Parts: sequence; structure tokens; C-alpha cells
Amino acid sequence: MELDRCLERLYAGELLPEATIRALCFKLKEKLVRESNVVHISTPVTVVGDIHGQFHDLLEIFHIGGAAPDTNYLFLGDYVDRGLYSVETWTLLMVLKLRWPSRIQLLRGNHESRQITQSYGFYTECVNKYGGSSDVWRQFTDVFDYLALCCVVDDELFCVHGGLSPNVQTVDQIRVIDRFREIPHDGAMADLVWSDPEETGGQDARDGRNTGLESSSPHFQVSPRGAGYTFGRSVVEKFLQLNGMSKIYRAHQLCNEGYQVYFGGLVTTVWSAPNYCYRCGNKASILELYDKDNGYFNVFEEAPENKLLHHASTSGQITNNNAFLNEFFDERGGDVFSDEYQAASASRRHVEYFL
Amino acid sequence: MHLAQLQLISRLKKMDSKRTEGHGINTIQINKAREIHAQTVRARNPRAQPRSELHAPARNAPARNAPARNAPARNTPALSAPAPNRHICNNPNNPACAHCSAVIIPAPKATLPLEDTPSISIEDWTITTRKKPILNSKELDEWDRILGGLTMPEMIFGNSFVKIENRKHGWCLEFNALDALKAVKMEDSGIRVSYANKWIKSKQAQQKSSELADSSLQIGQHYDWTYTTKYKGTIKNGTHNFTHDNSATLPLDKLSRPDPILFYDDMILFEDELADNGISVVNVKIRVMNERALLLSRFFLRVDGVLFRVYDTRVYVEFDENRVLREYKEHEADYKYVLSKNLGGHSRDPKAILRDSNWVAQQLPMVRRECEVLQF
Repeated sequence: MELDRCLERLYAGELLPEATIRALCFKLKEKLVRESNVVHISTPVTVVGDIHGQFHDLLEIFHIGGAAPDTNYLFLGDYVDRGLYSVETWTLLMVLKLRWPSRIQLLRGNHESRQITQSYGFYTECVNKYGGSSDVWRQFTDVFDYLALCCVVDDELFCVHGGLSPNVQTVDQIRVIDRFREIPHDGAMADLVWSDPEETGGQDARDGRNTGLESSSPHFQVSPRGAGYTFGRSVVEKFLQLNGMSKIYRAHQLCNEGYQVYFGGLVTTVWSAPNYCYRCGNKASILELYDKDNGYFNVFEEAPENKLLHHASTSGQITNNNAFLNEFFDERGGDVFSDEYQAASASRRHVEYFL
Repeated sequence: MHLAQLQLISRLKKMDSKRTEGHGINTIQINKAREIHAQTVRARNPRAQPRSELHAPARNAPARNAPARNAPARNTPALSAPAPNRHICNNPNNPACAHCSAVIIPAPKATLPLEDTPSISIEDWTITTRKKPILNSKELDEWDRILGGLTMPEMIFGNSFVKIENRKHGWCLEFNALDALKAVKMEDSGIRVSYANKWIKSKQAQQKSSELADSSLQIGQHYDWTYTTKYKGTIKNGTHNFTHDNSATLPLDKLSRPDPILFYDDMILFEDELADNGISVVNVKIRVMNERALLLSRFFLRVDGVLFRVYDTRVYVEFDENRVLREYKEHEADYKYVLSKNLGGHSRDPKAILRDSNWVAQQLPMVRRECEVLQF
């Protein structure tokens, strides 16, 4: 199938046939295998954080930020899991990358992994949407192994899904990682997609609840979970200085306002899944970078379709969204707050005789 | 709301977000917002609205689902007759449904900031809930000071709550996220993720060969990263307190009757996915019937490959007897044990069921039970 035909169908929210998926995955792997672990691009570019299967919000992002290929996009990973439309989201991004490879950059997030997707919904969704077989999931997750790990914009802005690693002092050390594999639990590759900044300054006024806490280190620290790192300010300063860079942009952590600034702007989180999991009520943002010093956070809320689609799916009609939409929208002046709608949704409303 | 309106709002939103510095707020936007606000409030109160003939068939639709008993025919002709129900809906934005008299808590929430604090009163008892978005960064800083040292869970619904009040005795039991988090221990939980050992060993090896620069292998801060909380609600007012009585039990016969539910809400207080090593979540549900109410506050923990915990607090109120019973149960088992309970059945996706706290709770052995009674 031609890529433009695929795009047409995907924008309409349709799934592509399994054979097409197989071909797309093959083609994309062919393309990605030639990309370095570290992709270099230049501004202008729009940076997008976690999407997590919120397909309608992805379409909203293209409305807000401009359609591909008119706008260059850099996606920071976590395309799948949790949302209800991971398959649609990831297929669309794959086709866009194939169609305009230099205009769309896709980095790997911690959810682009076999292990994680089995626990957080993508596996289940693939099996449900493709006739009970896990073949499509296998195809998709194979492609994940080929995604680049980080991106440098204008030689100065370091973009990655999670953060820094004690095993990585220079960008060159990232270049030599063997990335064509499942994300390991350990090592530079894991840290790049997993670690979080930990701000310690300005929180000294802690009350007596806090027992035996030595002054928090600005360095790398092991999480109390027993694996994984948090990184402090001095780690960031050292990394930026050593590599002649000015800022780090990353995703990975939910924030109510859609973005979060750490260490006086040295590290910034971009989060692009509004009303995360359809219930957090948070805003999302995309970061429009005009040049290395000028950028703008375009903050937005959930796409209106989400509510209804989610509503439909919770009443067990996952495959029948359009029918649901028609039912309430195309019916002369379907008013979601009207008596009829309320009556209808009252009967659908989730009420449980829990004990 | 029409699709056109939804689109207009989203378009206006977009215009707004595309920097309209110095232009002020568009008047069309304000008028539209007012109109929609009025429409929302109007539409939720069906009785205040003239009904056209066209609307008539819809009236009977939900009656099929709702149990017929106690569901009054509160439509136009019956308006003058006194309502047989004794409950009062306290928030005019959340009136009773004309069909089944349950409090209307709309499923699709208005985009515009209409605050929903649905509330119902039966005799001396009032139950109120509020659902708001997760905390913003300013609020998080504030909480960080209060909870000092605890790395916050990913999602905190810090402005949401469920409240059960007895007005006559000035007593109030509230479930909120802040108090639930205050009950999280600021010490090492002793629990580690499944691959922690391997991880530390490989780091130690790297340190010896000095591949690893400037990193201590110290755990940064000690706090219970599983957010295990034995939270049983906060008694906000009143001198009345519960007395221990482990022999008391919930009247399951009464609670399993399909009495019409007049008020139902379900919310999360906080949730964290433990950096994708599982889930830790506190969820509160409440249902109010004509004679009684039941609340379930559940702490659910799954650490992949390690263990499960379900800590349930149930609060049961019998309105006419003015009696409150609070039951607290702890369930725990290791991961393999629970996984082994699920042989067969869901073989294609064996992990799917591990996300269902109800199923998990049924598999776990109970390790502790406490019961308390409060009689006014």
C-alpha cells in the first residue's frame, strides 16, 4: 500500500492490515538501522514528549503545531501503553517517519520495550485489535529496537527521553552503545530512557518528619527502589560543559502544566499527553524551538473527542467509536448536557454494587 | 453542546495558545463561555426545563436499567405530588435525575471550569465528593514542604476528597490524598524491585574496574517507595471516636441487595507506577442508598515479580440507626503465588488480570483485620 494511502486511512482512525504493518516495519527498520544512536538536526523543530496511545491528542498536536511535513517534529518517545490507541498512534508515527524521514525524528522511550508493553497495555491492545495474535506486537517491538537514543539540536540542545547516566560523560560514549536490542535493566542505555532529575535546592525547610537525611547530593543517586538513578544539578552542569551544550530537553515525567523546568532551565521536561490516562486533568505542551536560544511552549488541553471516545470504550464499544460519535453528534444538535444525553449516559454511567 | 461549539472552543483555545499577547480576551469567547455555562447548569436540572413532546420517549429509557422500586415517576404530571424520597441534593449543579432520582454526576465533565462538588443528604447524614485534576507544581512544592523527604507519587489528586458527615453531631470522616501520604513511612521498606540485586552487583563490578565515575551506590533518600499506606480516613471534626470491636461484621445481606444507588462516585487519591515496576494506587469508591452508605478505600500495590498488597478500609453507615462501622483488612502475598492462581484462562495475556485489583484481592490471603464501631 502506498504511504499516502496509509496516511489517509490512519488520519481517519482506521487500522492498517497486518500485511501492510509487516511491510512498514520492515521498511522502517531498513531506514533506522542507518541512523546513528545520536541524531543531529537543526532548528526550527517542534519537540513532543510522551503520547502514550492518546491518538486524538496526537492529531490535536498536528493541528496545533502544524501538519507534517510543514513542521519538523522530534518525538521523545513513549508512544504506546496506557492510552487506548497505541496501535493507531505508533502506526501513524511509523508511516510519517517513512514518508518524511528527515522531517520526523523518533527517539526511544522506556515504553518502547517488550517487557514494559506487556504490563502496560500495548500488548493487550495489539492482541485485541489484530485477531488475538501477538504477531503484530512482535513486529512493532522489533522496530523499537532500532529507534535512536537521543538527539542533538543545533549542536547545543541535548534531547533524550529520560536523562543522564553515570556511564555517559560525553555524547561520543552514547554513539558506541549497541542499541539494537531490548532495553536492558542496567547501563547507559537504560539510564538514558529511565533516569529522572532530582532537584534538591530550596527544600531545606523540611520538618521533623525527616529523619537522618544527609544533605541531598547533587550527583547521581540510586533510587530507593534498588535500581535506577536520579541526577542532580552538578551532573547536568558537568555534562553540558564537557559537551559544549546549553540545555537538556527530556520527557518521561507527568507534570500538571505540561512542562516542568529544573535547575534554573538547564533541564526541562516536555509532556504531551493531556488529561493523562483520561483522568489526570493535566495540561500538555509541545516545545517549538525557533533557534537554539528561542523556544515557546505551546500548552494545550485534551482533544474534545477524547471524552466521548473514552466514554464509549469504557462501555465496551472499543471498535465502535464512530457509531458512538454519530449517535450523539450527528443527531440534530446532539447536546452533551441535554436531558436526552444525560438520561442515556445515566444508564451507561459506571455504577458498581461493590462490597 | 454542539460539535460546532466544541470545535469553536478548541479553535479559540488554539488561537489563545498561539500567543495573542496584548489583545486581551476575545469577547466572543466570554459570551460563548457564559452561554455554555448556563446551558450546562440548565441541562443538568431537567425539571427546570420545559419538555417537548420529542423528549418523552427518552424518559422511560433508563427505567429499564434502574430497579423499579423506589424510583418515583417524577415527570411533569407528578411534579406537584410530594417526593417519596427523603434525600436532598445539596449542590444545585448536581440535581437529582428526573428518572431515577440519583444525583447527577455527569460522565463527560465540562471542559469549562465548572466545579463539581456533588453532595447528598439523608436525615442527619451528608456525603460530599470532589474530583479535581492532579496537583500543579506550586501545590507540589507546598506538599513537598509538608511531607518533607518523600518523593511524591507521579499522580496526586490532592484536591479531591470523599466526606461523610453527621451534621447533628458535628462529626466528619474524610478521605484525602494528603493524609493518605502522611501515613507513608519515611524509612526503608525493605522491598526492592525484582532486578535490584543484579543491578547493584553489576554497578559494583563497574566501580571496581573504575568504569563508573562520580556515583555513590548509596540510596539517595529513604522513604517507602511503594507508598504503602494504612490510611483509614481522617476524622476531621467531633469528639466522637470509634471503639474497637473486632467481632463486628458488615451486614453483607443488606449490602448485596440491589437497592437503587442514589449517589455514586469513584476516585483515585494518588497513583504511581513505580517507574514501571508495577503500581501503587489508593482508590476510593462510595455508594449511597436510601437506608445506608458504603465506602471502600483501597490501597493496591503490585511490584512486578515481587509481591501484591491490598489494604481495604470499608466504612458502612446505617442512616436510621446512626451507626458507623469501619473495617480494615490487609491482604498480602508474593507475586508468584498470585500468578500461579491464574493458570489457564487468560493464557494469551496472563498479566492482564494482575491489573484487576478485585481479582487480586480475592486471591490474596488476609493477614490482618480490624473493626471499629461508632454509635451516635
